[in-house]
Amino acid sequence: MSKIRKERTNLTSRRKVLKSLVAGSVVAPFAGRSLFAQEVLTEGVSDDQIVLGTSAAFSGPSRGLGIELYRGSTAYFTHVNEQGGLFGREIKQNLKDDSYQPDPAVTNTTQLMVEDDVFALFGYVGTPTVTRVLPLLKKFQDRKFMLMFPFTGAQPQREFPYGDFAFNLRASYRQETGGLVDNFVGIGRERIGVFYQADAYGRSGWAGVRAALSKYDLTMVGEATYRRGTKFTANLREQVEILKAFQPQAIICIGAYAACAAFLRDAVDGGLQVPIANLSFVGSENLLKLIDDSQENSEDYTKFLVNSQVVPSYTDDTLPGVVEYNEFMSRYNPSVPEEFDDDQYTTFDRSFVSLEGFLNAKLMTEILRRVGESPKRLNLEEAVFSIKDFDLGIGEPVSFDTNRRQGLDRVYYTVVEEGVFVPLRNWKGTFS
Amino acid sequence: MKITKLFQRTVFGIIALFGLIGISTSVLSINAVDSHLSHEYQSNSEGHARTIADASVDIILNRDLSSLQSLIDQFLKIQGIEYIYITNENGEFLAHTFVPGIPQSILDSDVSNTETVQRTIRGMGDFVEVASPILAGVAGTVHIGMDLESVSMKIQAAIGAQVYLIASVFLIGIFAAIWFVNFASKPIELLQTYAVGLAKKESDDGNFTKLLERKDEAGDLARLFQYFSTVSDPEKLGKDPNQPESSN
Repeated sequence: MSKIRKERTNLTSRRKVLKSLVAGSVVAPFAGRSLFAQEVLTEGVSDDQIVLGTSAAFSGPSRGLGIELYRGSTAYFTHVNEQGGLFGREIKQNLKDDSYQPDPAVTNTTQLMVEDDVFALFGYVGTPTVTRVLPLLKKFQDRKFMLMFPFTGAQPQREFPYGDFAFNLRASYRQETGGLVDNFVGIGRERIGVFYQADAYGRSGWAGVRAALSKYDLTMVGEATYRRGTKFTANLREQVEILKAFQPQAIICIGAYAACAAFLRDAVDGGLQVPIANLSFVGSENLLKLIDDSQENSEDYTKFLVNSQVVPSYTDDTLPGVVEYNEFMSRYNPSVPEEFDDDQYTTFDRSFVSLEGFLNAKLMTEILRRVGESPKRLNLEEAVFSIKDFDLGIGEPVSFDTNRRQGLDRVYYTVVEEGVFVPLRNWKGTFS
Repeated sequence: MKITKLFQRTVFGIIALFGLIGISTSVLSINAVDSHLSHEYQSNSEGHARTIADASVDIILNRDLSSLQSLIDQFLKIQGIEYIYITNENGEFLAHTFVPGIPQSILDSDVSNTETVQRTIRGMGDFVEVASPILAGVAGTVHIGMDLESVSMKIQAAIGAQVYLIASVFLIGIFAAIWFVNFASKPIELLQTYAVGLAKKESDDGNFTKLLERKDEAGDLARLFQYFSTVSDPEKLGKDPNQPESSN
């Protein structure tokens, strides 16, 4: 950590002398190249690189999300760079760790915008972090920074007053929770409880469930919360008992994998054996691994799981985008960013999160191509709006315009079969 | 440190006076600090509640509730604030900071009430809860719970510092008073020793020269004792009684 800090300090000095230099934790996924090459940047662009700024969870209980999202995007960017980059420029990510905490996210973003002068913000993770970062985009609106495809389905970056500073690829939490409620109500499970993270992310999902239930003149039967950063080892029996008292027929969890896995474990152990749904943000593979690694008969637990996803299954070989993802992940097998690697995290060969990162990178590359040979932030928004029916290879065309700043709307539902999340085909048959 | 009997009462009087001043100042100070800080904490919390209420109007009417949650989460970092919850005009909880859930005592309370109340929440502790209406109450209410224990600790710390200061001044004053009394009683002790020596007709070894040279009352008395000693001693009558022994 001190090594990183020292490098950053040195680079800040260089920057003062040489104006804008790429520095700090710029990640070069290319063997044999210097990680800290001194190059003159203007708006994050030099003759041979274009730099995107990322603040995400690379440490702490939710680091799996930041790492897997990064690995997916790195797989695609590495491919592009191996092909010669965009107009001779490599696409790089300047990575900073916020541990999924709002204050470091604000500090990191300020540094990325003011000192590092990146081209755009890309690959952010989390609602409590992004929600706090959004005012910075408004503050520096004259410099035309854009937040591209954050890994959160929350509303603040989708609506006034910050909606104009962000573009989203994934469906929103409202759409995810709305779909879950529709399906649960559709199979007669109207008594829905909510287990959620006590912060902006949890509230966003909670509000989505509330709104979806109100369509049926229903209200959630009960709610329980947990603190952000709760580990899998935590005891969540109290939350289970709170919800159990309301006799719910289904529970929707709005949380991260460690806490949601702990809740699933304690709920099943505590006799609350009803369908337990998680949103895409949970990090399905991370959750499954925690249950698999800790429970002898993990099927006893996972049979209650139903997770919504905002990208198709990475096992669906009928989709060319998924085939490409699998191919690139096998070919490049991106590792944990060197500066955040403590040898404690085991990566996943495939995951929904890394597939989302891959698709984000694919669309970002296309947008950067459309920005042109002389990229300017001023032209970024126009380039995004030029995306019409773009094929990411997942069977869902992507379009943007001034009234549509979210590329995809589809929500997928998955259950665990033989230790893998697979598409849920029959709600009634599975949960009735 | 030996104090002459003559001044012992004076010292005890001074100690009693200092003690009275110290205790009365402490009591006054404790009351003033307690009421001032309690009022200040409550006033600050009411101010925070008003700020949240003002900022909530736009969010409740126009934006997603995650923004509202983000807002109250930031206020939760302020020392002393233990929980915040916001209800709409129907009493529905729109955002809160409770983990693992909203306490039953709060669910059972009248959430539209904006008066300051003291609460005991099972498993959490004792709180003073202040509230502020949102848009004159038609859009809901903001409630902020201050941890009484935390506030009490802060007040006790402030009072402790005051009492410590007063006690220190008291002790320093006592020691200073004893030293001054002792300093003042030194010539009396010397005079007493001199008088006893004269009475026992012990030879003067020159220890009392300084005493006899003093220009104050002790010197006058010493010289007077010497005079009486001379005029009442037949052996010394042959000598000039007006000539003091020690004068040069």
